[in-house]
Amino acid sequence: MQWWCSASGKPWTWAPQFYPGVWIAMLALAVAFGILARRGRALGESRLAFWGGWTAVGLVWQSLDWPIGPLAAGYLASAHAVQFLTLALVAPPLLLVAVRKPLAAAVPTAGRAHAVAMFLTQPIIAGVLFNLITITTHVPSVVDRFMPSQLGAFAIDALWFAAGLVLWWPLVVGVPQRAWFSAPVRMLYLFMATLVHTGIAMVMLISRFPMYGIYELAPPWEIWSPLEDQHLAGGVMELAGAAIIFGILTVMFFRWSGGVAGDNAPKAPPRD
Amino acid sequence: MIAAALCVSACAAPAPRHGLPLDPPLPRPSFTLTDTWGKPYDFARETRGRLTFLFFGYLNCPDVCPVHVGNVATVLHKLSFEDQQRATFVFVTVDPARDSLPALRAWLDHFDKTFVGLRGDATVVDSLMGTLGLPPAIRAAPTKPNGWYEVGHAAPVIVFTADDVARVVYPFGTRQLDWAEDIPRLLKVGR
Repeated sequence: MQWWCSASGKPWTWAPQFYPGVWIAMLALAVAFGILARRGRALGESRLAFWGGWTAVGLVWQSLDWPIGPLAAGYLASAHAVQFLTLALVAPPLLLVAVRKPLAAAVPTAGRAHAVAMFLTQPIIAGVLFNLITITTHVPSVVDRFMPSQLGAFAIDALWFAAGLVLWWPLVVGVPQRAWFSAPVRMLYLFMATLVHTGIAMVMLISRFPMYGIYELAPPWEIWSPLEDQHLAGGVMELAGAAIIFGILTVMFFRWSGGVAGDNAPKAPPRD
Repeated sequence: MIAAALCVSACAAPAPRHGLPLDPPLPRPSFTLTDTWGKPYDFARETRGRLTFLFFGYLNCPDVCPVHVGNVATVLHKLSFEDQQRATFVFVTVDPARDSLPALRAWLDHFDKTFVGLRGDATVVDSLMGTLGLPPAIRAAPTKPNGWYEVGHAAPVIVFTADDVARVVYPFGTRQLDWAEDIPRLLKVGR
Protein backbone atom coordinates (compact mmCIF):
# COMPACT_ATOMS: atom_id res chain seq x y z
CA MET A 1 0.00 0.00 0.00
CA GLN A 2 1.19 3.50 -0.82
CA TRP A 3 1.13 6.00 2.07
CA TRP A 4 1.48 9.05 -0.21
CA CYS A 5 0.55 9.62 -3.85
CA SER A 6 3.54 9.13 -6.14
CA ALA A 7 4.16 8.25 -9.78
CA SER A 8 3.64 4.48 -9.91
CA GLY A 9 3.87 3.95 -13.68
CA LYS A 10 0.78 1.75 -13.52
CA PRO A 11 -2.22 2.40 -15.78
CA TRP A 12 -4.73 4.82 -14.26
CA THR A 13 -7.75 3.29 -12.60
CA TRP A 14 -10.89 4.98 -11.29
CA ALA A 15 -10.96 2.54 -8.36
CA PRO A 16 -10.49 4.75 -5.26
CA GLN A 17 -7.20 4.33 -3.41
CA PHE A 18 -6.51 4.91 0.27
CA TYR A 19 -3.39 6.88 1.19
CA PRO A 20 -2.86 6.71 4.97
CA GLY A 21 -0.18 9.41 4.95
CA VAL A 22 -2.59 11.89 3.39
CA TRP A 23 -5.27 11.11 5.98
CA ILE A 24 -2.80 11.45 8.87
CA ALA A 25 -1.49 14.75 7.50
CA MET A 26 -5.02 16.03 6.98
CA LEU A 27 -6.07 14.97 10.47
CA ALA A 28 -3.08 16.85 11.89
CA LEU A 29 -3.92 19.94 9.82
CA ALA A 30 -7.60 19.80 10.76
CA VAL A 31 -6.86 19.42 14.49
CA ALA A 32 -4.27 22.23 14.48
CA PHE A 33 -6.56 24.49 12.48
CA GLY A 34 -9.60 23.60 14.59
CA ILE A 35 -7.83 24.58 17.82
CA LEU A 36 -6.48 27.83 16.39
CA ALA A 37 -9.75 28.69 14.62
CA ARG A 38 -11.73 28.34 17.88
CA ARG A 39 -9.28 30.71 19.54
CA GLY A 40 -9.63 33.00 16.52
CA ARG A 41 -13.42 33.06 16.89
CA ALA A 42 -13.03 33.87 20.60
CA LEU A 43 -10.69 36.72 19.64
CA GLY A 44 -13.23 38.13 17.19
CA GLU A 45 -12.35 36.57 13.82
CA SER A 46 -15.38 36.57 11.55
CA ARG A 47 -17.58 33.57 10.84
CA LEU A 48 -16.76 34.01 7.15
CA ALA A 49 -13.04 33.70 7.86
CA PHE A 50 -13.72 30.65 10.06
CA TRP A 51 -15.60 28.82 7.32
CA GLY A 52 -13.14 30.03 4.71
CA GLY A 53 -10.42 28.31 6.72
CA TRP A 54 -12.36 25.05 6.87
CA THR A 55 -12.95 25.33 3.12
CA ALA A 56 -9.17 25.61 2.72
CA VAL A 57 -8.69 22.44 4.81
CA GLY A 58 -11.12 20.69 2.47
CA LEU A 59 -9.32 22.02 -0.61
CA VAL A 60 -5.94 20.82 0.68
CA TRP A 61 -7.45 17.41 1.35
CA GLN A 62 -9.00 17.22 -2.12
CA SER A 63 -5.77 18.23 -3.81
CA LEU A 64 -3.67 15.65 -1.95
CA ASP A 65 -6.04 12.68 -1.85
CA TRP A 66 -7.51 10.45 -4.56
CA PRO A 67 -8.16 11.24 -7.38
CA ILE A 68 -6.31 14.58 -7.77
CA GLY A 69 -3.32 13.48 -5.66
CA PRO A 70 -2.35 10.42 -7.70
CA LEU A 71 -3.28 12.10 -11.00
CA ALA A 72 -1.00 15.00 -10.11
CA ALA A 73 1.79 12.72 -8.93
CA GLY A 74 2.08 10.50 -11.96
CA TYR A 75 -0.33 11.14 -14.79
CA LEU A 76 -1.29 14.75 -15.49
CA ALA A 77 0.79 17.91 -15.32
CA SER A 78 -2.48 19.85 -15.36
CA ALA A 79 -3.59 18.17 -12.12
CA HIS A 80 -0.15 19.01 -10.70
CA ALA A 81 -0.73 22.67 -11.61
CA VAL A 82 -4.11 22.64 -9.86
CA GLN A 83 -2.41 21.11 -6.83
CA PHE A 84 0.27 23.81 -6.83
CA LEU A 85 -2.28 26.60 -7.00
CA THR A 86 -4.35 25.06 -4.22
CA LEU A 87 -1.46 24.32 -1.87
CA ALA A 88 0.54 27.50 -2.44
CA LEU A 89 -1.85 30.24 -3.48
CA VAL A 90 -5.40 29.41 -2.40
CA ALA A 91 -5.39 27.44 0.86
CA PRO A 92 -2.67 29.30 2.84
CA PRO A 93 -4.29 32.76 2.79
CA LEU A 94 -7.72 31.31 3.65
CA LEU A 95 -6.22 29.37 6.56
CA LEU A 96 -4.19 32.31 7.83
CA VAL A 97 -7.11 34.76 7.66
CA ALA A 98 -9.11 32.54 10.01
CA VAL A 99 -6.37 32.23 12.61
CA ARG A 100 -4.33 35.43 12.27
CA LYS A 101 -5.12 36.73 15.76
CA PRO A 102 -4.06 33.61 17.67
CA LEU A 103 -1.04 33.29 15.36
CA ALA A 104 -0.07 36.92 15.93
CA ALA A 105 -0.38 36.38 19.68
CA ALA A 106 1.80 33.28 19.43
CA VAL A 107 4.72 35.01 17.69
CA PRO A 108 7.61 35.11 20.19
CA THR A 109 8.63 38.59 21.23
CA ALA A 110 12.15 37.78 22.38
CA GLY A 111 14.92 35.24 22.11
CA ARG A 112 16.06 33.00 19.29
CA ALA A 113 12.50 32.08 18.27
CA HIS A 114 11.77 35.78 17.82
CA ALA A 115 14.85 36.13 15.60
CA VAL A 116 13.74 33.16 13.48
CA ALA A 117 10.22 34.60 13.20
CA MET A 118 11.61 38.00 12.23
CA PHE A 119 13.77 36.40 9.55
CA LEU A 120 11.15 34.10 8.02
CA THR A 121 8.40 36.73 7.98
CA GLN A 122 10.66 39.40 6.49
CA PRO A 123 8.83 40.06 3.20
CA ILE A 124 11.96 40.00 1.06
CA ILE A 125 13.06 36.69 2.59
CA ALA A 126 9.53 35.27 2.30
CA GLY A 127 9.27 36.32 -1.35
CA VAL A 128 12.68 34.92 -2.24
CA LEU A 129 11.97 31.65 -0.40
CA PHE A 130 8.63 31.22 -2.15
CA ASN A 131 10.15 31.79 -5.56
CA LEU A 132 13.18 29.60 -4.89
CA ILE A 133 10.91 26.74 -3.84
CA THR A 134 8.62 27.34 -6.83
CA ILE A 135 11.52 27.29 -9.28
CA THR A 136 13.28 24.29 -7.72
CA THR A 137 10.15 22.17 -7.51
CA HIS A 138 9.32 22.81 -11.17
CA VAL A 139 12.75 21.94 -12.60
CA PRO A 140 12.10 18.86 -14.80
CA SER A 141 15.01 16.82 -13.41
CA VAL A 142 13.83 17.49 -9.84
CA VAL A 143 10.22 16.60 -10.63
CA ASP A 144 11.23 13.43 -12.50
CA ARG A 145 13.49 12.36 -9.65
CA PHE A 146 11.17 13.21 -6.74
CA MET A 147 7.70 12.27 -7.97
CA PRO A 148 8.23 8.49 -8.40
CA SER A 149 9.14 8.29 -4.71
CA GLN A 150 6.48 8.69 -2.03
CA LEU A 151 8.87 10.63 0.19
CA GLY A 152 9.88 12.84 -2.74
CA ALA A 153 6.28 13.53 -3.72
CA PHE A 154 5.43 14.26 -0.08
CA ALA A 155 8.41 16.66 0.12
CA ILE A 156 7.21 18.62 -2.92
CA ASP A 157 3.63 18.86 -1.61
CA ALA A 158 4.84 19.89 1.86
CA LEU A 159 7.26 22.45 0.41
CA TRP A 160 4.51 24.08 -1.67
CA PHE A 161 2.21 24.36 1.35
CA ALA A 162 5.01 25.70 3.56
CA ALA A 163 6.08 28.14 0.83
CA GLY A 164 2.48 29.35 0.57
CA LEU A 165 2.27 29.96 4.32
CA VAL A 166 5.59 31.84 4.26
CA LEU A 167 4.47 33.94 1.26
CA TRP A 168 1.11 34.93 2.71
CA TRP A 169 2.14 35.44 6.34
CA PRO A 170 3.48 39.01 5.92
CA LEU A 171 0.31 40.00 4.06
CA VAL A 172 -2.30 38.28 6.19
CA VAL A 173 -0.89 38.01 9.71
CA GLY A 174 1.42 41.01 9.49
CA VAL A 175 3.23 40.25 12.74
CA PRO A 176 5.98 41.22 13.47
CA GLN A 177 4.84 44.59 12.13
CA ARG A 178 7.06 46.57 9.82
CA ALA A 179 6.41 50.26 9.28
CA TRP A 180 7.76 50.26 5.73
CA PHE A 181 5.44 47.43 4.64
CA SER A 182 2.63 49.80 3.64
CA ALA A 183 -0.33 48.92 1.43
CA PRO A 184 1.36 49.90 -1.88
CA VAL A 185 4.48 47.94 -0.88
CA ARG A 186 2.31 44.95 0.04
CA MET A 187 0.68 45.03 -3.39
CA LEU A 188 4.09 45.26 -5.04
CA TYR A 189 5.29 42.35 -2.85
CA LEU A 190 2.43 40.12 -3.93
CA PHE A 191 2.84 41.04 -7.58
CA MET A 192 6.62 40.47 -7.57
CA ALA A 193 6.46 37.30 -5.50
CA THR A 194 4.25 35.55 -8.00
CA LEU A 195 6.03 36.57 -11.20
CA VAL A 196 8.15 33.43 -11.20
CA HIS A 197 5.27 30.98 -11.40
CA THR A 198 3.88 33.03 -14.29
CA GLY A 199 7.24 32.58 -16.06
CA ILE A 200 7.18 28.83 -15.44
CA ALA A 201 3.66 28.69 -16.82
CA MET A 202 4.79 30.54 -19.96
CA VAL A 203 7.61 28.03 -20.53
CA MET A 204 5.11 25.18 -20.18
CA LEU A 205 2.78 26.89 -22.63
CA ILE A 206 5.31 27.51 -25.39
CA SER A 207 7.37 24.33 -25.06
CA ARG A 208 7.30 22.17 -28.21
CA PHE A 209 7.93 18.95 -26.27
CA PRO A 210 6.79 17.62 -22.90
CA MET A 211 9.13 18.86 -20.18
CA TYR A 212 8.45 16.23 -17.54
CA GLY A 213 9.33 12.59 -18.16
CA ILE A 214 6.93 11.28 -15.53
CA TYR A 215 3.96 12.70 -17.42
CA GLU A 216 5.30 12.03 -20.92
CA LEU A 217 6.04 8.36 -20.18
CA ALA A 218 3.06 7.72 -17.92
CA PRO A 219 0.44 5.24 -19.09
CA PRO A 220 -1.60 7.27 -21.55
CA TRP A 221 -4.53 9.43 -20.56
CA GLU A 222 -6.86 8.90 -23.47
CA ILE A 223 -8.35 12.38 -23.58
CA TRP A 224 -5.28 14.45 -24.39
CA SER A 225 -1.60 13.98 -25.22
CA PRO A 226 1.24 14.75 -22.78
CA LEU A 227 2.03 17.98 -24.65
CA GLU A 228 -1.61 19.10 -24.66
CA ASP A 229 -1.74 18.28 -20.96
CA GLN A 230 1.37 20.37 -20.36
CA HIS A 231 -0.13 23.29 -22.28
CA LEU A 232 -3.26 22.93 -20.18
CA ALA A 233 -1.10 22.95 -17.04
CA GLY A 234 0.63 26.12 -18.20
CA GLY A 235 -2.74 27.70 -18.98
CA VAL A 236 -4.14 26.76 -15.57
CA MET A 237 -1.08 28.16 -13.80
CA GLU A 238 -1.13 31.29 -15.92
CA LEU A 239 -4.84 32.09 -15.97
CA ALA A 240 -6.05 30.71 -12.66
CA GLY A 241 -2.89 31.97 -10.93
CA ALA A 242 -3.35 35.42 -12.44
CA ALA A 243 -7.05 35.44 -11.54
CA ILE A 244 -6.23 34.63 -7.91
CA ILE A 245 -3.40 37.15 -7.60
CA PHE A 246 -5.06 39.98 -9.50
CA GLY A 247 -8.34 39.35 -7.69
CA ILE A 248 -6.59 39.79 -4.36
CA LEU A 249 -4.57 42.75 -5.66
CA THR A 250 -7.81 44.42 -6.76
CA VAL A 251 -9.35 43.99 -3.32
CA MET A 252 -6.16 45.32 -1.71
CA PHE A 253 -6.10 48.29 -4.04
CA PHE A 254 -9.69 49.33 -3.42
CA ARG A 255 -9.32 48.90 0.32
CA TRP A 256 -6.21 51.01 0.24
CA SER A 257 -7.64 53.69 -2.08
CA GLY A 258 -10.84 53.76 0.00
CA GLY A 259 -8.75 54.32 3.11
CA VAL A 260 -6.74 57.07 1.43
CA ALA A 261 -9.95 58.70 0.20
CA GLY A 262 -11.39 58.43 3.71
CA ASP A 263 -8.31 60.14 5.15
CA ASN A 264 -8.56 62.97 2.60
CA ALA A 265 -12.34 63.42 2.86
CA PRO A 266 -13.43 66.92 3.94
CA LYS A 267 -14.01 67.02 7.64
CA ALA A 268 -17.28 68.32 9.03
CA PRO A 269 -16.88 71.82 10.54
CA PRO A 270 -16.70 71.85 14.32
CA ARG A 271 -19.93 72.70 16.03
CA ASP A 272 -20.16 75.81 18.02
CA MET B 1 35.11 -4.30 -47.36
CA ILE B 2 31.41 -4.28 -46.34
CA ALA B 3 32.38 -2.91 -42.92
CA ALA B 4 34.42 -0.18 -44.58
CA ALA B 5 31.51 0.69 -46.86
CA LEU B 6 29.16 0.81 -43.88
CA CYS B 7 31.56 3.08 -42.05
CA VAL B 8 31.92 5.43 -45.00
CA SER B 9 28.16 5.87 -45.23
CA ALA B 10 27.55 6.00 -41.48
CA CYS B 11 30.59 7.96 -40.35
CA ALA B 12 29.79 10.85 -42.66
CA ALA B 13 26.50 11.46 -40.83
CA PRO B 14 26.31 12.72 -37.26
CA ALA B 15 25.89 9.86 -34.79
CA PRO B 16 22.65 9.60 -32.86
CA ARG B 17 22.91 10.87 -29.30
CA HIS B 18 20.38 8.60 -27.64
CA GLY B 19 19.34 4.96 -27.72
CA LEU B 20 21.49 1.89 -27.22
CA PRO B 21 24.14 1.12 -29.86
CA LEU B 22 24.01 -2.26 -31.58
CA ASP B 23 27.38 -3.94 -31.94
CA PRO B 24 27.56 -5.51 -34.42
CA PRO B 25 24.97 -3.59 -36.44
CA LEU B 26 21.87 -5.50 -37.47
CA PRO B 27 21.12 -5.95 -41.19
CA ARG B 28 17.58 -5.18 -42.32
CA PRO B 29 15.72 -8.50 -41.96
CA SER B 30 13.77 -10.17 -44.70
CA PHE B 31 10.30 -11.38 -43.75
CA THR B 32 6.77 -11.25 -45.05
CA LEU B 33 3.69 -10.79 -42.86
CA THR B 34 0.12 -9.65 -43.54
CA ASP B 35 -0.54 -5.93 -43.51
CA THR B 36 -3.73 -4.25 -42.28
CA TRP B 37 -5.22 -4.37 -45.81
CA GLY B 38 -4.88 -8.16 -45.77
CA LYS B 39 -2.04 -8.20 -48.28
CA PRO B 40 1.44 -9.72 -47.92
CA TYR B 41 4.00 -7.14 -46.84
CA ASP B 42 7.59 -7.89 -47.79
CA PHE B 43 9.43 -5.88 -45.14
CA ALA B 44 12.84 -5.86 -46.84
CA ARG B 45 11.45 -4.86 -50.23
CA GLU B 46 8.93 -2.28 -49.00
CA THR B 47 11.30 -0.48 -46.65
CA ARG B 48 14.63 -0.80 -48.47
CA GLY B 49 16.63 2.44 -48.41
CA ARG B 50 14.19 4.12 -46.03
CA LEU B 51 14.51 5.17 -42.41
CA THR B 52 12.45 2.43 -40.76
CA PHE B 53 11.20 2.12 -37.20
CA LEU B 54 10.39 -1.49 -36.31
CA PHE B 55 8.42 -2.15 -33.14
CA PHE B 56 6.80 -5.24 -31.64
CA GLY B 57 3.77 -4.63 -29.44
CA TYR B 58 0.09 -5.35 -28.91
CA LEU B 59 -3.10 -3.35 -28.87
CA ASN B 60 -4.17 -4.21 -25.31
CA CYS B 61 -0.82 -3.01 -23.96
CA PRO B 62 -1.81 -0.56 -21.23
CA ASP B 63 1.35 1.50 -20.99
CA VAL B 64 4.55 0.93 -22.97
CA CYS B 65 3.25 0.41 -26.54
CA PRO B 66 0.94 3.44 -26.84
CA VAL B 67 3.47 5.75 -25.19
CA HIS B 68 6.44 4.53 -27.25
CA VAL B 69 4.54 4.58 -30.56
CA GLY B 70 2.90 7.89 -29.68
CA ASN B 71 6.22 9.58 -28.96
CA VAL B 72 7.70 8.56 -32.32
CA ALA B 73 4.52 9.65 -34.11
CA THR B 74 4.48 13.04 -32.40
CA VAL B 75 8.05 13.77 -33.41
CA LEU B 76 7.61 12.49 -36.98
CA HIS B 77 4.67 14.89 -37.36
CA LYS B 78 7.01 17.78 -36.54
CA LEU B 79 9.41 16.93 -39.38
CA SER B 80 9.19 18.51 -42.81
CA PHE B 81 6.86 16.80 -45.28
CA GLU B 82 9.86 15.53 -47.28
CA ASP B 83 11.48 13.97 -44.22
CA GLN B 84 8.18 12.39 -43.17
CA GLN B 85 7.97 10.78 -46.61
CA ARG B 86 11.39 9.18 -46.07
CA ALA B 87 10.40 7.39 -42.86
CA THR B 88 8.28 4.28 -42.28
CA PHE B 89 6.99 3.01 -38.96
CA VAL B 90 6.22 -0.70 -38.85
CA PHE B 91 4.29 -2.21 -35.95
CA VAL B 92 4.24 -6.01 -35.64
CA THR B 93 1.67 -7.41 -33.26
CA VAL B 94 2.88 -10.00 -30.77
CA ASP B 95 -0.74 -10.84 -29.92
CA PRO B 96 -2.26 -12.03 -33.20
CA ALA B 97 -4.97 -13.95 -31.35
CA ARG B 98 -6.63 -10.73 -30.22
CA ASP B 99 -5.29 -8.12 -32.63
CA SER B 100 -7.39 -8.41 -35.77
CA LEU B 101 -6.28 -6.52 -38.86
CA PRO B 102 -9.10 -3.94 -38.70
CA ALA B 103 -8.41 -3.39 -34.98
CA LEU B 104 -4.72 -2.99 -35.72
CA ARG B 105 -5.51 -0.44 -38.46
CA ALA B 106 -7.83 1.53 -36.18
CA TRP B 107 -5.28 1.57 -33.37
CA LEU B 108 -2.46 2.76 -35.64
CA ASP B 109 -4.69 5.39 -37.26
CA HIS B 110 -4.96 6.92 -33.81
CA PHE B 111 -1.25 7.77 -34.16
CA ASP B 112 -0.68 8.06 -37.91
CA LYS B 113 -2.55 6.76 -40.91
CA THR B 114 0.71 5.90 -42.71
CA PHE B 115 2.00 3.59 -39.98
CA VAL B 116 2.22 0.01 -41.21
CA GLY B 117 0.62 -2.72 -39.10
CA LEU B 118 1.68 -6.35 -39.59
CA ARG B 119 0.24 -9.57 -38.27
CA GLY B 120 1.42 -13.14 -38.53
CA ASP B 121 1.33 -16.43 -36.74
CA ALA B 122 2.64 -16.10 -33.17
CA THR B 123 5.38 -18.64 -33.77
CA VAL B 124 6.52 -16.79 -36.89
CA VAL B 125 6.60 -13.47 -34.99
CA ASP B 126 8.51 -15.05 -32.09
CA SER B 127 11.00 -16.51 -34.52
CA LEU B 128 11.39 -13.13 -36.23
CA MET B 129 12.04 -11.50 -32.87
CA GLY B 130 14.70 -14.12 -32.23
CA THR B 131 16.51 -13.24 -35.46
CA LEU B 132 16.59 -9.62 -34.29
CA GLY B 133 18.08 -10.59 -30.93
CA LEU B 134 14.84 -10.08 -29.01
CA PRO B 135 13.35 -12.63 -26.63
CA PRO B 136 10.04 -14.17 -27.71
CA ALA B 137 6.81 -12.65 -26.39
CA ILE B 138 5.29 -14.28 -23.30
CA ARG B 139 1.52 -14.59 -23.46
CA ALA B 140 0.31 -14.85 -19.89
CA ALA B 141 -2.70 -16.79 -18.67
CA PRO B 142 -5.93 -14.73 -18.47
CA THR B 143 -5.99 -12.57 -15.35
CA LYS B 144 -9.53 -11.21 -15.62
CA PRO B 145 -12.94 -12.88 -15.88
CA ASN B 146 -13.37 -11.57 -19.42
CA GLY B 147 -10.28 -13.50 -20.52
CA TRP B 148 -7.98 -10.46 -20.63
CA TYR B 149 -4.31 -11.28 -20.44
CA GLU B 150 -1.03 -9.44 -20.65
CA VAL B 151 1.74 -10.09 -23.12
CA GLY B 152 5.30 -9.65 -21.96
CA HIS B 153 7.47 -8.46 -24.81
CA ALA B 154 10.71 -6.66 -25.55
CA ALA B 155 9.88 -3.04 -26.36
CA PRO B 156 12.77 -1.38 -28.17
CA VAL B 157 12.18 0.51 -31.38
CA ILE B 158 14.77 -0.83 -33.81
CA VAL B 159 15.80 1.83 -36.31
CA PHE B 160 17.08 0.84 -39.73
CA THR B 161 18.71 3.63 -41.66
CA ALA B 162 18.84 4.18 -45.42
CA ASP B 163 21.86 1.89 -45.72
CA ASP B 164 19.62 -0.99 -44.53
CA VAL B 165 21.40 -1.43 -41.21
CA ALA B 166 20.30 -0.83 -37.61
CA ARG B 167 23.04 0.57 -35.38
CA VAL B 168 20.86 1.72 -32.53
CA VAL B 169 17.71 0.67 -30.68
CA TYR B 170 15.57 2.93 -28.51
CA PRO B 171 14.21 1.35 -25.33
CA PHE B 172 11.07 2.45 -23.56
CA GLY B 173 11.82 5.69 -21.77
CA THR B 174 13.07 7.47 -24.87
CA ARG B 175 11.65 10.98 -24.69
CA GLN B 176 10.18 13.01 -27.53
CA LEU B 177 13.07 15.43 -27.21
CA ASP B 178 15.51 12.51 -27.67
CA TRP B 179 13.70 11.45 -30.84
CA ALA B 180 13.65 15.04 -32.07
CA GLU B 181 17.42 15.19 -31.73
CA ASP B 182 18.12 11.80 -33.27
CA ILE B 183 15.65 11.39 -36.14
CA PRO B 184 17.19 14.19 -38.27
CA ARG B 185 20.59 12.59 -37.68
CA LEU B 186 19.29 9.12 -38.55
CA LEU B 187 17.75 10.48 -41.75
CA LYS B 188 21.23 11.51 -42.89
CA VAL B 189 22.82 8.11 -42.29
CA GLY B 190 23.44 6.13 -45.45
CA ARG B 191 22.37 8.86 -47.87
